[in-house]
Amino acid sequence: MPDRVFTELQRDALQEIANLGMGQAATRLSGLLNAFIELSVPRVRVVAVSEAAEALREMTGIDGPVAAVRQGFRSEIKGEALVICRSGEIAELGSLVGGRAGDHDEDPYEDHDALTEEELLFDVANALTGACVSSMLDQLGRMPVFSQPGLLGEAIMLDEVFQPGLLAWDVALLVEVNFALEDQRFRAHLVMLMAEESIHVVSRAIDALLHSL
Amino acid sequence: MNAPAGLPSLSDLVVERVGFGIFVVDRDMNVLMWNRFMQDHSGVPADDVIGRPIFERFPDLPRAWLTRKVESVFQLGSFAFSSWEQRPYLFQFDHDRPITGGVDYMQQDCTFMPLMRGRDVIAVCVTLSDVTHVSVMQREREEAVARLREYADRDGLTGIANRRYFEARLADEFSRWQRYGGELSMLLFDLDHFKRINDEFGHMAGDTVLRSMAQRVSGVVRKQDLFGRFGGEEFALLLPCTPLDDALYVAEKIRRTIGDEPIEVQGVIVPVTASVGAASARTGAPDYEGMINEADAALYTAKRQGRNRSVALA
Repeated sequence: MPDRVFTELQRDALQEIANLGMGQAATRLSGLLNAFIELSVPRVRVVAVSEAAEALREMTGIDGPVAAVRQGFRSEIKGEALVICRSGEIAELGSLVGGRAGDHDEDPYEDHDALTEEELLFDVANALTGACVSSMLDQLGRMPVFSQPGLLGEAIMLDEVFQPGLLAWDVALLVEVNFALEDQRFRAHLVMLMAEESIHVVSRAIDALLHSL
Repeated sequence: MNAPAGLPSLSDLVVERVGFGIFVVDRDMNVLMWNRFMQDHSGVPADDVIGRPIFERFPDLPRAWLTRKVESVFQLGSFAFSSWEQRPYLFQFDHDRPITGGVDYMQQDCTFMPLMRGRDVIAVCVTLSDVTHVSVMQREREEAVARLREYADRDGLTGIANRRYFEARLADEFSRWQRYGGELSMLLFDLDHFKRINDEFGHMAGDTVLRSMAQRVSGVVRKQDLFGRFGGEEFALLLPCTPLDDALYVAEKIRRTIGDEPIEVQGVIVPVTASVGAASARTGAPDYEGMINEADAALYTAKRQGRNRSVALA
């Protein structure tokens, strides 16, 4: 049912927009991290929020506990981006994204330049969200403003990430892309969630884009 | 909105007076803008810092971290953030709760915003909000939760462990004993003829006796032991790593602590004695409840033998 939100033509266009956006994002992230970045071909799906956890389990292949960070973005198109990775894997990124992850027991004041593991998680999530969401919305002619990232949990199940009762919308546009670094086991998954209202704006923006071609 | 020539624009006025810090840096970390909030809190006026690298006037800033943050905004063209929960502050600013705050410096949330001209990031604007009150509230909430948790384990009248907490700890110690062996004992004791004290002197006096006795006994138990109120005038003492012989020795010490000196309640001298039952974990015992039952049986025997004595079956 929800997939009827877009026509086939719109779906193809959206896929293309996502591809272009992620291409740009990968270039920018590679520049920042000084490493080769692989961003998967994004998978775009419209799902009911009640099915989101299941859809995501299927898309990511993750069944166990995850660390999840959420971040809001707003423009005429607004929504939330989630960055999800397997619990505990973030520490493996220590040497990238600037500096090592500080030991938890260390006094954070002692070494101002070291990152705590949580800070590292936020930085990775923020960079990924910023690059991907901005790039994709840029294709649609929108420039989003982001809110501060917030931790949903360090070890929670996907079902806990999407609690239908707590979310303000019924339908979600899932744009799943996974992010991998050269020679690293670490994988992060980015999911963009948009409310129905914003999905309609996206749909109109796609039409405008198609018209202008 | 355009202002008449020579006068600041409305946005200039807002930036000047707004209640959070706003400053702008270029890619080399030179300061391009510095609002009044930054000036007031740092003591460094705009003229002193604009056009210079920010680290020149603020050598305490986390240099590598801040440079990386700003660089990421230039490279990605998107926002970056810093939260007080991970990094309590960027600048060492005073806050307006020097007495009640309990934090050293103003707690800060920072947002790093790309300033775009077309698709190019020309500078990064940093906004800094004072979230000291949020951090203070959060700490107070954490303290309140810790207190509640503490209360949940305590007996309201005497302040010692309650039965629920005592049994939980006993269950832990019992599992440890089952796995690693060693010795584990417990005492159950009861104030003799307590009903008589209540009837004769009233319930308030009875409560005072319970409180005083709990306090006296607390003063003689070892640090690793757990003393709890089991209900009514019945108390329990958990003795990890203690064989039954030693438990009986402790039982006698407690009995004397209670009985050797009468207690004065509202000017009346009230003699109080206690009967004590001891038990220890024994091979083949299925659970900790068996230990409680055995201590209870020993206590019953002590009562039947005339009270004011310590008994261990076994």
